[in-house]
Amino acid sequence: MKGRVALLGLCAVLLALLPLTGDDVLIQYGIDALLFATLAQAWNIIGGFAGYASFGNSSFYGLGTYGTAIAMAQLHLPFWVGLCLGAFLAVVCAVLIGLPILRLRGHYFAIATLGLSATLSAIIANLDISGRNIGLILPLTRNDTMFYELALVLLVAATGTVAWIARSRFGMGLIAIRENEDAAQVMGVNTTLYKVTALVLSAFFTALAGGIHAYWITFIDPASAFDLTLNVRMVIMAMFGGPGTVLGPVIGSFILTFVYQLLASSISTAAALLFGIVIVLAVIFMPRGLWDLAGGLRRLGPRYFLQNIRAHRL
Amino acid sequence: MKFRLAAVLAVVFIVISHVALAQTKIVTLGASLQLTGNNANLGRYFRDGYQVAVDRINEKGGIAIGGVTYRLALRVLDNQSDLNLGVQQYVQLVTRDKVDFLLGPYSSNDTLNDSSVAEKYRIPMVQGGGAAALIFSRGYKYLFGTAPPAENYFGSTVEMMTKLDPRPRTIALLAADDAFDVSLAKGTRALAAHYGFDIVTDQQYSEHNTDFSATLALVKSKAPDAILWGGHETEALNFIRQAKSLDVNARDMFAITVGVPSADFRKALGKDAEYAFGMSPWLASPLLHDQWFGDGAQFARLFQQRFGYEADYHVASAVSDVETFAYALEAAGTLDKDAVRDAIVKSDFECVYAHVRFGETGQIDLPQIVIQVQDGKIVPIYTDHFLNKPRYPLPPWGKRG
Repeated sequence: MKGRVALLGLCAVLLALLPLTGDDVLIQYGIDALLFATLAQAWNIIGGFAGYASFGNSSFYGLGTYGTAIAMAQLHLPFWVGLCLGAFLAVVCAVLIGLPILRLRGHYFAIATLGLSATLSAIIANLDISGRNIGLILPLTRNDTMFYELALVLLVAATGTVAWIARSRFGMGLIAIRENEDAAQVMGVNTTLYKVTALVLSAFFTALAGGIHAYWITFIDPASAFDLTLNVRMVIMAMFGGPGTVLGPVIGSFILTFVYQLLASSISTAAALLFGIVIVLAVIFMPRGLWDLAGGLRRLGPRYFLQNIRAHRL
Repeated sequence: MKFRLAAVLAVVFIVISHVALAQTKIVTLGASLQLTGNNANLGRYFRDGYQVAVDRINEKGGIAIGGVTYRLALRVLDNQSDLNLGVQQYVQLVTRDKVDFLLGPYSSNDTLNDSSVAEKYRIPMVQGGGAAALIFSRGYKYLFGTAPPAENYFGSTVEMMTKLDPRPRTIALLAADDAFDVSLAKGTRALAAHYGFDIVTDQQYSEHNTDFSATLALVKSKAPDAILWGGHETEALNFIRQAKSLDVNARDMFAITVGVPSADFRKALGKDAEYAFGMSPWLASPLLHDQWFGDGAQFARLFQQRFGYEADYHVASAVSDVETFAYALEAAGTLDKDAVRDAIVKSDFECVYAHVRFGETGQIDLPQIVIQVQDGKIVPIYTDHFLNKPRYPLPPWGKRG
């Protein structure tokens, strides 16, 4: 266990040193990959551990984005105040919507959260302080290394939180909720409190990632801030890596981001199509993610894939 | 044995081509365009426009920078209509591919994001894909635009309206809520006030709207003399079809910002596109002189021959983007980014697109030519005087042949 933590620490340090290469393209890809990994990891808390497939995370991302942008572009406050404002808005939103809609289960929950980002996007597009549908412009900063390191710190913090959840009583409670919510309640788990807390944590990290992205990209509008495809990508990345595990979502998103960039830069036109094929194959052959694949292959060898197909009646 | 010969030949070929490359100096212009995805149709216009200009300038002997002849090269990446990917590709163009200067993507939103890369690395970018005032409100020093400002799109139309008989008095102004159309509506309000028109209804609708029935009912109740409409092509198609089915008419005329110049648009509407006024900053005209292409009409023929479709103002503005660099590089006499940037500020030349001069904010200002669909074709109607007779006034839907 200690060995593994040391190895992860080493990885983080190596990643932190990446800007020393001075390769700006690599740093761009890095910022993107780290932010995506954070989003997947944040989704993992509510979707992977508690088993509630949230499509509301893109709303938290949008609130983080707009919190930062409004603070910086309209109120002329420093960046960190913006980040705090964005995170605050997202957390408040998570509590307010979590209390009523976390009563819904399964598909109903997913559908209820689906409407959220469209609603928020419409509200933002009609408020003067958020620049209506035109969007907001943030000041330009020539410091991509800072954005890279910030994104890395955020990912480490999110992963650290998930690692803690995985071994805490709180995490056990979430897993119990995922496996059988009624049984969990009977066993004395305060399901409402646990679920709302999981959603709040998820919203918190998602909003911070949105805030960093806003300042980095310098221009935001409702369509890009409340983009549902972003939420779909979070889900895909977390599922691909292994939902409900500590490192699965991070590894999954790194691999998928890398594959996407590789396809986009080398094959170009067919990238989106091939990306889709990768995901379809992944769902068929390893529906429980890379993390499960690693264990399964060691145990069963190639029969692991057959067993997956049989187990899910494909 | 055969293989060895092939290998030797290959090596010889590589050496020769390298020597040849070393002899001609090259200036590379880079762009990340929407070659696939949602905006691929318009991304293609820009790629072809850039390419035809670069090739033509090279055919005519390239450009002389400080007494040395340079050829132009174009490096285009496909951003698949993905905003984030576009930004990354511009960084790649600047840092890894080491292109010398940047050309822009299509659309105001892409330009808003991508131009930040140019500003970050202090490399001049000339673009014709983004017209929104917001792009030029940021005080960027390395960004130049050859698309005319949105505020004045209806400028020539409103001026024309004062000279029509019967003269329209009341206007219904309908525009979407995106950056471009908000600027447009703001400018049009000022124009209407200036020329003494009465705006009887002033409606903003949300972008990507498909149902115009409520707006149309309102317009019908106000019975305006003229409808001025701003938005995107899909919305324009929906608006016109619904106006027909609900039988909503303006007494005199109907003008829209998009669609009329596009052949696809006229085809989609068929007869319902007749009488619609539109605008274009550019029409292929022999009066537009150009150092490399001769004139606008010759350019249009050359372009049609090579690419098999009609050039529109996007293509022409893309050509002017490349020519802006050609002129500025010759004037600066160096590849130094800041010297070239200063030379672009002083741009003052004629080309197939227009007379190119940049204003304070780095954006060109061009008058729009009022055009009208007549028998399925575009007819230029008005600049600051009438060019052709407009079909006027507009007959109501029920009385159209």
